Amino acid sequence: MSGCEGGSCSTCGGSDDPDRLPPGMLKMYDVNQSTADGILVFLEAEANGLSDVGAEILGKARSICDGRLFAVVFGGLEIKPLYPEIFGYGVDTLYHVRDKRLETYVPEAYAACVCEVIARIEPAIVLFGATPKGRELAPRVASSLGRGLTADCTDLRTDGRKLTATRPAFGGTLMADIDCVGFPQLATVRPGTFPKPERKEGQGTAIYWQYTGDVLKEIVSDVPLPPSEGGDIRDARILISLGDGIRDRSLIDVAESVARKMGAEVSCSRALVEKGWMPRSRQVGMSGRTVAPDLYIAFGISGAVQHRAGMMGAGKVVAVNRDADAPIHGFADLSLLADAGEVLRALDRSL
Amino acid sequence: MRFVVFVKQVPDTMAVRLDGNGSLVRDGVPAILNPYCESALSHILSIKNEGDTVAAVTMGPQKAADALRRCVELGADEAYLLSDRDFAGADTWATSRALAAFVGKYEPDADLYVFGRQAIDGDTGQVPYEVAGLLDVQQFAYVRALAKDGDTFTAVQDYESFERAAKVPRRSVVSFGTVDPSGMLPTVEGYRRGKAAEIKVLGRVDIGLGLYSVGLKGSVTKIVGTDSVKAARRNMKVEITDPNIAAELIIKERRAVG
Repeated sequence: MSGCEGGSCSTCGGSDDPDRLPPGMLKMYDVNQSTADGILVFLEAEANGLSDVGAEILGKARSICDGRLFAVVFGGLEIKPLYPEIFGYGVDTLYHVRDKRLETYVPEAYAACVCEVIARIEPAIVLFGATPKGRELAPRVASSLGRGLTADCTDLRTDGRKLTATRPAFGGTLMADIDCVGFPQLATVRPGTFPKPERKEGQGTAIYWQYTGDVLKEIVSDVPLPPSEGGDIRDARILISLGDGIRDRSLIDVAESVARKMGAEVSCSRALVEKGWMPRSRQVGMSGRTVAPDLYIAFGISGAVQHRAGMMGAGKVVAVNRDADAPIHGFADLSLLADAGEVLRALDRSL
Repeated sequence: MRFVVFVKQVPDTMAVRLDGNGSLVRDGVPAILNPYCESALSHILSIKNEGDTVAAVTMGPQKAADALRRCVELGADEAYLLSDRDFAGADTWATSRALAAFVGKYEPDADLYVFGRQAIDGDTGQVPYEVAGLLDVQQFAYVRALAKDGDTFTAVQDYESFERAAKVPRRSVVSFGTVDPSGMLPTVEGYRRGKAAEIKVLGRVDIGLGLYSVGLKGSVTKIVGTDSVKAARRNMKVEITDPNIAAELIIKERRAVG
């Protein structure tokens, strides 16, 4: 076919397969390398502007990214006033999916749009906030692309285009560095992990995007839930945390009163959420929130590794637990072997 | 109606302790049915009618059959164990592929594919939605309640900032976000059924996947390094007899942080 059978040239090893490249050519020209470059960030807009985690990720992404920084956001007209802020965080190109049908959150359609945007810009890295929406959306995108996704990361590093994401494993006693195979590499980032960058106005390119599919949910109602009472436990400087050792429900009121007098917030371990005594938004730990107060006072918390993962960053830890063998005593600065309820009541009286 | 509930066997992380150096002691830790999966199963059993069947599926080593036995004790009708040496070391993508391949081959037409929100040992919570993506069906996350009226379902989903009620079409993936604190207790009859349960074991070839599609070889994330975290705390232990002394000590600590 090529007419070179039996010739003296050995470049193609005498093969008559037209698809076969001369040996070494792939390596020489790097043609088998993906050209993916840049970072794409999925942004969530809230009622009062851009979500904090979105800004945090953009700040981090800008600092680890040599290439272009892209963002994708869903919504209608209300997004437009956010453009200067988004570009101010260093976004070069913003994909704004403006579709009436997607003004409410539809995970399947959102994932399809994100995949289309990914196909167009070929980013090396795609980042989501580890929010309820992000944790649901990212796996759907990852499975459509057949690519790797690291959940709930607490650190990101890049070496060129390669991403190494760090996430706590085994209840926070170990930090695992995880690489993804191929491009793009996906990760969800835990809110509050990176500092929020300074807000400034900026300019960039915004591109409107349309959803071409027709997978929509039949939504009966979307009811906004009021934000949980009191402040966010992640912002508190002092936390009074209650655990399984709190056997009497009235002690929660005592703890609330102590917290008021001390200028603290009340949090809890998983046990009390499961009993239905405390809302999930107050739970510290792996399946709850990660907190880093200056002072963490644990009442009747045994200190399972999941709980520990959520409060490792605390400045000072005081543990009140009658059980001398409770693991919490192993990572407290001050361990008081006493009944948690009695101490709470005594505190309430003496403050 | 046909329900397929995917479960996982996990070490009872509440029983995992730390040794003196702050590393995990995992020996002798009992393996349990993941509480989120158990809660999902109990939701399904509560809406199950006469004539409906529930299949429990897990992927894991041979001893994961215990978790399936527990499902049968609680009321599942059938149990499938995906177990193969080649499945070892699977990440969420390889796991999802195996589960989706199982669905395609053995349960292509179930009414609902049911998951728990996350496993308490890994906490990634990705498998339900990756499977939904692979099956190309709708997904319902963080479901708090599932109501059945006639042939249709309505799910109530808790997204923290809002609560959604939505119609669930057939063949959807439903992921429950709830945990039942007290757990379920099997009946005596259920206990006997669990003992006698026939667990169908399926390997890689049975679900029709290649060697490089499963387990460590089929994984798209790789753990490249680990770093142990050691907490340096002063750790002063004080035995307290009078709660007022404890209160004083705490107030002192409170003052110290300003």
